[in-house]
Amino acid sequence: MQDGGTCVMGFEIPRSPESSYDNPIPANEDEAQDPPLAPPHLQHTLLSYPASQDGSSSLPSPQNVTLNHLYIENRESPRSVVALGVTHRFRSKFVTVVLYKPVQRR
Amino acid sequence: MFSTGTSSSQEAGGATGELLLPKTFVWPYGGSRVMVTGTFTRWSDHVQMSPVEGCPTLFQATCRLTPGMHQYKFYVDGEWRHDEQQPSVPGSYGIVNTVFVTREPDSLTAILSPGTPGSKHMDIDPDTFQQVCGSLQETRLGLLETDIEASRHCITDFLSSNAVHDLLPDSGKVIALDVNLPVKQAFHILYEQGTPVAPLWDSFRGRFVGVLSPLDFILILRELGSHGSNLTEEELETHTIAAWKTAKHQNIRQMHLLSKPCQRSLVYAGPFDSLKDVALKILQNDVSTIPIIHPSSHDGSFPQLLHLASLAGILKCICRYFRHSSGVMPILQQPICSLPIGTWVPKIGEPNRRPLVMLRPNVSLSSALSLLVQAQVSSLPVVNENDSLLDVYSRSDITALAKDNIYAHIHLDEMSVYHALQLGQDTAMPNGIIGQRCQMCLGTDPLQKVMERLTIPGVRRVFIVEAGSKRVEGIISLSNVFKFLLSLR
Repeated sequence: MQDGGTCVMGFEIPRSPESSYDNPIPANEDEAQDPPLAPPHLQHTLLSYPASQDGSSSLPSPQNVTLNHLYIENRESPRSVVALGVTHRFRSKFVTVVLYKPVQRR
Repeated sequence: MFSTGTSSSQEAGGATGELLLPKTFVWPYGGSRVMVTGTFTRWSDHVQMSPVEGCPTLFQATCRLTPGMHQYKFYVDGEWRHDEQQPSVPGSYGIVNTVFVTREPDSLTAILSPGTPGSKHMDIDPDTFQQVCGSLQETRLGLLETDIEASRHCITDFLSSNAVHDLLPDSGKVIALDVNLPVKQAFHILYEQGTPVAPLWDSFRGRFVGVLSPLDFILILRELGSHGSNLTEEELETHTIAAWKTAKHQNIRQMHLLSKPCQRSLVYAGPFDSLKDVALKILQNDVSTIPIIHPSSHDGSFPQLLHLASLAGILKCICRYFRHSSGVMPILQQPICSLPIGTWVPKIGEPNRRPLVMLRPNVSLSSALSLLVQAQVSSLPVVNENDSLLDVYSRSDITALAKDNIYAHIHLDEMSVYHALQLGQDTAMPNGIIGQRCQMCLGTDPLQKVMERLTIPGVRRVFIVEAGSKRVEGIISLSNVFKFLLSLR
C-alpha cells in the first residue's frame, strides 16, 4: 500500500470521463444570478460593542462562526478611514481586535 | 513534671520553680468596672483592673504568666469585650485577644516589676505608665511594620505566580490605530470608541511601534494653540501620527519638556509574563497602560494584540483574590491615614512638604493642561474657594473636545475647566461611567476600600477628604498603592 491512498489494489479511484473536462466559457446567465448568500450567523459579530475603559469587563462570547473572519466596516464611499475587525481565540480567551487604517487616496 | 499553666493560681507555678513573667494588660476604652480574664486564670478568676490616675479611660492590670500563647478577654461593665487593636482570634468564648509571652522578660514588663513576688495587682505611678504607653505605641507600630512586611510578601507571591493571561477578560476587545492615520482622525476615533489609549500599528514594518495616549493630544492641542506650528491648514488635516511622534521626540530632546527621557521604543509585555513584571514595567516607564502582544511566530512577525494591561486591572485581580482573606493581609483593614502611602496636604508644622496641586473651576483649560503636563500627573482635583472637592479633571478628558469639533472652534485659553467638564458630562458615554470618576474616601477608611475604589474604570486617583467639608486632605493614586505594596520608592 502506498501513501496518498491512490494505489490500493482493488480500490482504484475511477478516472473522470474525458467529456467532463470541457472548459466552457462562462455565459452571461451565470453572472445575472446573485451569489449564494453568506450564512446569516456571520452577521452577529462583537464589532459593534464598545471597548470597555478598563478592559476587564467582558463582552459576550463570540459566535464560533465569526472567529478568524476578517470584517471591514461598511461606511459610505468618500471615507478616509476604514475599520478592519477580527475575533480570534487565544488559549481560553477570545480577543476582538479592530484596526483603523487610512484609505489611500489616488 | 512541672505543671505548665494548669495550676489553680499563678503563685503555685512560681512555687514549684516554673518561670512566670509579668504581663501588663491595658484597656484604653473606658468603663467603670473592668476585669480581665484568660487562659492564665483558667477563664474563671477575673482580675480586677485599676484605672490610671490622670487618665480615667485607661485601665491596667499586671499578671504573671507562663511563657507561651495565652488568650484573654475583658469584662467591662457586665459586657464581654475584646481589644480590636490587639491581635485576636475567634475562640470558643467568642473573639479573644491573644498574647505570646516569651521566655525573656522584655524591657516593658521589667519596668513594672518592682520585685514583690506574689502580688497580683501592681499600682504604678503615671510617669512610668506613660513610658509604658509609649513603648506599647511603639510595639503597636512595630506590629504595623510586621503587618506591612507580611502583606507585601503575600502580594509579591501572588503577583509573581499569576500571569497576564488571567487579566484578559473571557471576551475582550482592543482598538488599534495605524500609525499613518491623521492625528485628527485618531482623535475622533478614540472619542467615539470611548478608549483613551490605543496601540499604534505600522503596516510597513509589520509590528506595533508605540501607543497614542491623551498626553499626545494635549501636547498637540497646546502646540496648535500656541501658533508655533508651521503647518498649513491642509497639512494639519493630513498630519499623521507618525509625523507627530517624530516631531515630539525631537522637541522633547530640545526643550526638555518632560524630565524623563521618553521611550522611543514600544513598552509592552507578553501574555505569559507575571503580573509582577507587568506592574514593574508600568511603574518604571511611568505609563498608564501597556499593550499585551503575543508573538505568534519565533521571529516576532505576525504579532497578536491581546489586551491593554493597566494597574487597575492588576489591582482588580488582587482585590478579588484577597477580598475575604483579611487575616492573611492584615493591612487591608488598616485606616489609610496610618499607612505611608499617597500624597498628603502638609499639616501645620511640616513646612518642607510641597502643597498639593489643585485646580479652580474657572481656571483656563490651557493652564490646566500645562499643570497636568508639568506635574506629570494624570488627573488633578478641582476645588472651590474653600478647597472643597468638586470634581476631577483628567488627561483622558481631552478626548471630549472632539465632540462637535469643539477643539477647532475655540481657543484653549477661552475655555474653563468647568466648561470642559460639562462637555464630558453631556456626552452619552457608552458605558455611562462619568459620574463615578471623582471618588472620595475618608482618612479613616480601610486600605481595602480605597483599593476597590481605584479599580473602578476611569478612576486613577482617590481623594481623601475631610468628612463634611470635603476639603482635600490627600490623594492616593494607583501607582502610590503599587509602589507601597511592592516596596518601591
